[in-house]
Amino acid sequence: MSLLIAAFGFGLVSMSVIALAAVGFTMQFGITNMINLAYGEVMIASAFVAYYLNQARVSVWIAMLGGAAFGAVFSFLINRFVYTPFQRKGTALLGMVIVSLAVSLMIANAMLPIVGYFSVAYRERFSHLLRFGEIALTVNQIIIIVLAVAVMLAVHALLRYTRLGKAMRATAANPMLARNCGIPTHRVIDAVWLITGSLCGLAGVVAALDSDTFTIASGATFLITALAAAVLGGAGQPYGAMIGAVIIGLVTELSAAVWSPDYKQVVAFAILVLVMVLRPQGLLAKRGALAAAG
Amino acid sequence: MNTYYAANLLIFAGVDIIACLALNLQFGVSGVVNFSFIVFQAAGAYAAAVLSMPPDTAPDYSFQIYVGGYQLPFPLPWIGGAVAGGLLALPIGLVVLRRLRADYQAIALLVTSIIANTVINNARPVLNGAAGLVLVPQPLDGVVNTNTNSYQYLYIGLTAICVAIVWFVAARIVNSPYGRTLRAMRENELAASALGKNPTALKMVIFIVGGAIAGLSGAILVGFLQVWAPSTWLYPETIILFAAVIVGGRGNNVGAILGALLVPLGFEEVTRLLGRMNIGPPTLIPAVEWVCIGLLILGFLWFRPKGVVPEQRRVFPGAPAVEDETRWVVGKRAR
Amino acid sequence: MPGSEPMLGARDIHRHFEGMHAVDGVSIEVMPGRITGLIGPNGAGKSTYLAVLAGTLPASSGSIVFQGEDITRLPAYQRARRGLVRTFQLPSEFGQLTVLENLLVAAPDNRGESLLGALLGKRYWMPDETRLVAQARSLLKRFGLLPKESDYAAMLSGGQKRLVEIMRALMLRPRLLLLDEPMSGVHPSIVNEIAGYLEQLRDDGLTILMVEHELHMVDRLCDPVIVMAQGKVIGQGSMAALRRQPEVVEAYLVG
Repeated sequence: MSLLIAAFGFGLVSMSVIALAAVGFTMQFGITNMINLAYGEVMIASAFVAYYLNQARVSVWIAMLGGAAFGAVFSFLINRFVYTPFQRKGTALLGMVIVSLAVSLMIANAMLPIVGYFSVAYRERFSHLLRFGEIALTVNQIIIIVLAVAVMLAVHALLRYTRLGKAMRATAANPMLARNCGIPTHRVIDAVWLITGSLCGLAGVVAALDSDTFTIASGATFLITALAAAVLGGAGQPYGAMIGAVIIGLVTELSAAVWSPDYKQVVAFAILVLVMVLRPQGLLAKRGALAAAG
Repeated sequence: MNTYYAANLLIFAGVDIIACLALNLQFGVSGVVNFSFIVFQAAGAYAAAVLSMPPDTAPDYSFQIYVGGYQLPFPLPWIGGAVAGGLLALPIGLVVLRRLRADYQAIALLVTSIIANTVINNARPVLNGAAGLVLVPQPLDGVVNTNTNSYQYLYIGLTAICVAIVWFVAARIVNSPYGRTLRAMRENELAASALGKNPTALKMVIFIVGGAIAGLSGAILVGFLQVWAPSTWLYPETIILFAAVIVGGRGNNVGAILGALLVPLGFEEVTRLLGRMNIGPPTLIPAVEWVCIGLLILGFLWFRPKGVVPEQRRVFPGAPAVEDETRWVVGKRAR
Repeated sequence: MPGSEPMLGARDIHRHFEGMHAVDGVSIEVMPGRITGLIGPNGAGKSTYLAVLAGTLPASSGSIVFQGEDITRLPAYQRARRGLVRTFQLPSEFGQLTVLENLLVAAPDNRGESLLGALLGKRYWMPDETRLVAQARSLLKRFGLLPKESDYAAMLSGGQKRLVEIMRALMLRPRLLLLDEPMSGVHPSIVNEIAGYLEQLRDDGLTILMVEHELHMVDRLCDPVIVMAQGKVIGQGSMAALRRQPEVVEAYLVG
């Protein structure tokens, strides 16, 4: 029983990390209706940017902002110079998957000569362990949880109470109608990519910090876990992504405690495949997931 | 050029050609985006290996743990490889090949291949986990001396026969009414089903056929390399083959062959050549190559999505028109 | 031949999706040998209804009987094989196939269409193929598209694509043809041509159910006509009779 409670504690951390990644990812899907498979690589690239800052004696909590900024700019550029031109050309959804897959491979391999295959870690990776009954969490982990909650509230505030947020929701729901109502959809899309890109970068640094050590290969895992939470919650739905993150965070940690830690990621991957195949619209159903051929 | 190098080149060419022909059937002709393709090749390789290896209790093999070990003679392991690939298509196809948006389907298959790789990697007793299988016997090694040059030629010959068989099957499929139905399903699945075609059945069959051919390619490869591990079949391998089919020409068998020679084979040869020249750190050249593959995919998708050798236009000569056509349109149905 | 038994009877069809009732309890009968029209304002649920009849969308409840057989549970491709064939509102030609190939795909009795048949080679299926090519060409000739037989279907104009879709459906020897706005997006000069073909087909004995917006086409071709609005049937009968019904005029007919 105490094992389960401890696992629950880890689940809180996991869901926080996943939520940060999944919300950005799902908003990119919502606004452009494409699955950005390069997301994981941008996460890991931002994690490395923060790593180099960290090596230059910048605290990881500040370097995080550097990672977020890098993620924002990088994501924006990828969308501006690769995704949008292909979409304008009329490339089908499947073609866009291949495009984003090609981009992810290019990013990963372009980083390789610079960062190598080595496992690296942030200088602040070890922190004080605190106990709350059966739950044991480090200070880092608690900060991550608080950070995630703060970011989720900020995203909620953005979507609900700001003009930009309303414009984002309108554009995601019906771009043509939004344009006809006078919303500058091109600028909204740019804003979405900058914001979700910064979430992506932030999530990358957080995930790297949480996983203790990280390498260039971690990108694929980050991507699929975020994808799993986003699809589970309902692609394109930010609140769905949060719910998906909670579920996946808990289920993976419980499976690690009860079954085996080796297969933690496989559990998340399996959830993704099952959701895609059995209930593609996810929990908070929306248009787009079921639109097969017509 | 020594014999071993020639054998290496030709056998890899043969394996790549077979794999690309299979992927072309699935993706190029039928529009099934099998992003888990490499798993089928792996299944064939593992099957051929455990069918031809002695049991893991045997003296030289006891450092590995694996299922099977039936020491079957050639050609049974190769047939077993094809069967394994075809059988694997059943569960994967039943789960994934339903009416789902194409990009979801593709990603589900991609993630399935990652799951398979991770599971095999971690489950040591099944196929010796991350270390993989080694000392896989070569075909006919009880019958002929496998250390000679003539064995290399024999292997090349066996590979060539397999290429011929696969080419025959692929050509017959593509240039037939069946192939036409597959292409129609690729173009517009909804319209095809409104015309009486069962898309799920069509996709399932081509998934199995492609899977079996992929399994055969794996069996050929493992018999030559004599080793096979999870690191050999990571998901980017599928992407190389997709690049090959896209570059060579989607839907066209000749295009698939061309793509196989240009992309997987071409890049391997370039790696070998550049590797000898010792430019930069050892990780640099493969990394640059992968970036090039990415650029190749983007470039072709942008400038020439049909590939170097596009699908040919089918033209029918002869056959004059029937005069009174209304009768058969509204008459009694043939079935 | 017009008879007293309906070819298709759909009873109390409902179709809900995401909380909306696109089709809210619609029952219709389609009599053989006639062109039945299905009209109504945008969003009335006409195309959805056609899709449910064809099997492209499942009915949430209700039953469909076609030629005496209950087909409610059958998937679209099986309904097509029994003679219930639909066309689509948006162009649905097989773009990278030639016009002739588009028609050949539809033909149901070709030995080369199975995997085994393909592997047995040309000598096995060529006789069937030759016969079907002749049939397809006669259709192409009748509809005036024979010169285009080797063009990629994607290269045709909107009206030509419509014709290809109709011919494609005819290759299946349908008993009931469901046409979803066959005139939409078609150049006015071709509209008359298509109408003429439809009349010919009806005179040959083909039964058609047609969703259409162009009211003078409906006037010319359809009898009876069913009017839908907001997922329900609000009137049936000849156009003349419908014009006299106030609910119908209010909901839809303008002048």
